[in-house]
Amino acid sequence: MTTATVKLTKSQGYRMVADALWKTNPISKQVLGICSALAVTVQMNTAIVMALALTFVVAFSNLIISMMRNAIPRNIRIIVEVAVIATLVIIADEVLKAFLFNISKQLSVFVGLIITNCIVMGRAETYAMANPPGRSFLDGVANGMGYGSILVGVAFFRELLGSGKIMGFQVVPQFAYDLGYTDMGLMLLAPGAFIVIGLFVWLEHTLLKD
Amino acid sequence: MSDAMKSLLFAAVIGVVCSLLLTAASSGLKAFQQENALVDRQRNVLKSVGALEPERKYGTDDIKELFAAAIKDIRVDANGQVLDADAASGLPLFLYTRDGQVQSYIVPVDSRGLWGRIYGYLAIDNDGRTVTGFSVYQHSETPGLGGEIEKPWFQQNFVGKQIADPEGNLTSVGIAKGKVAEVIPPERRNHYVDGISGATLTGRYLSEGLKDILKAYEPVSRRLRDEGHLEIPEIS
Repeated sequence: MTTATVKLTKSQGYRMVADALWKTNPISKQVLGICSALAVTVQMNTAIVMALALTFVVAFSNLIISMMRNAIPRNIRIIVEVAVIATLVIIADEVLKAFLFNISKQLSVFVGLIITNCIVMGRAETYAMANPPGRSFLDGVANGMGYGSILVGVAFFRELLGSGKIMGFQVVPQFAYDLGYTDMGLMLLAPGAFIVIGLFVWLEHTLLKD
Repeated sequence: MSDAMKSLLFAAVIGVVCSLLLTAASSGLKAFQQENALVDRQRNVLKSVGALEPERKYGTDDIKELFAAAIKDIRVDANGQVLDADAASGLPLFLYTRDGQVQSYIVPVDSRGLWGRIYGYLAIDNDGRTVTGFSVYQHSETPGLGGEIEKPWFQQNFVGKQIADPEGNLTSVGIAKGKVAEVIPPERRNHYVDGISGATLTGRYLSEGLKDILKAYEPVSRRLRDEGHLEIPEIS
């Protein structure tokens, strides 16, 4: 009996993560959280920190809201959700300011804007309000990873093509520049992110057809 | 208990719990944040005088060491006389010294912006005329538009600009509405830097702010223009 339950939750957890990463990916499938995906993907460093911050917020907001889901009065539930999310976002922002100051400066307003990120609110409203804490937490982690995977993927191509670097280290060798290779300035601008995200969405939709 | 009362009570409890958490986070992390902010200001002072190599990474200790070695923190009164750094009155000013000589002086910038104050530093050569650098460490402008004021391409344009005309009258440095080469007559081009498209108001407010600040520091600039030097107070 116990093994059966464990097996069930294991496979369920696996399915949830797989779905959030692939079949129902928040960015490339649901097209949520695009604003921050455009803004913080010029470099891998900022994208990774942003992905971690969002994962932290969505996982813990799901957990907390799910624990309170039977006590929250229905008529003020959105306010309660926003209060929980906002508190977590400000804590994340304060921690970044204290320990990762330079990255927090580059992320500027976008950490604060996690409050308005549709992914967080969407998961709280549709999943955490109806499911037990453990599964809700896992759902938050899974969706944060789904968001983060696209963010880091987009940032990889933008940083590589836009400035010839990965994680701040030069990877395009000097002789390539000497031979006339130039970095693609478009990738540093928001339209570059639109194009890369568009390609990701296209790729995923094409692969999912089968 | 009625439903309305229950909702109110729940909201009140959530409010109290959230504010307690935020207060704890804010006061617990304050020391680290202030330290970061201080080092960031010092980094920007050093950046404005060109003491940092753009491609090198500087740690917290490197910055503190460089700052302590090269920058002197002083105050000046309305006549351009140097006061002690601890003096209650007077305007704050930084001196960038090398081998005991004042290379340039750094004016703290606190200007109006479109959405909030713009804080930074403007470094001027010891001739009292030539800008040697500009940096911004805090602002609330829109990223990608007014936020470009923190980008190297914008700040680099300040280097070599003149804050005074050949007769020695203050002209300040303005932000042009567009490219300097296209909108400013040739004889005034060395008093303007290229503007940011989509950020006309940020440029206008920052121009006004820089003018007011340079006016306040004009006694110091004038002394340097006329006398050619500023005595360095004894290091206390």
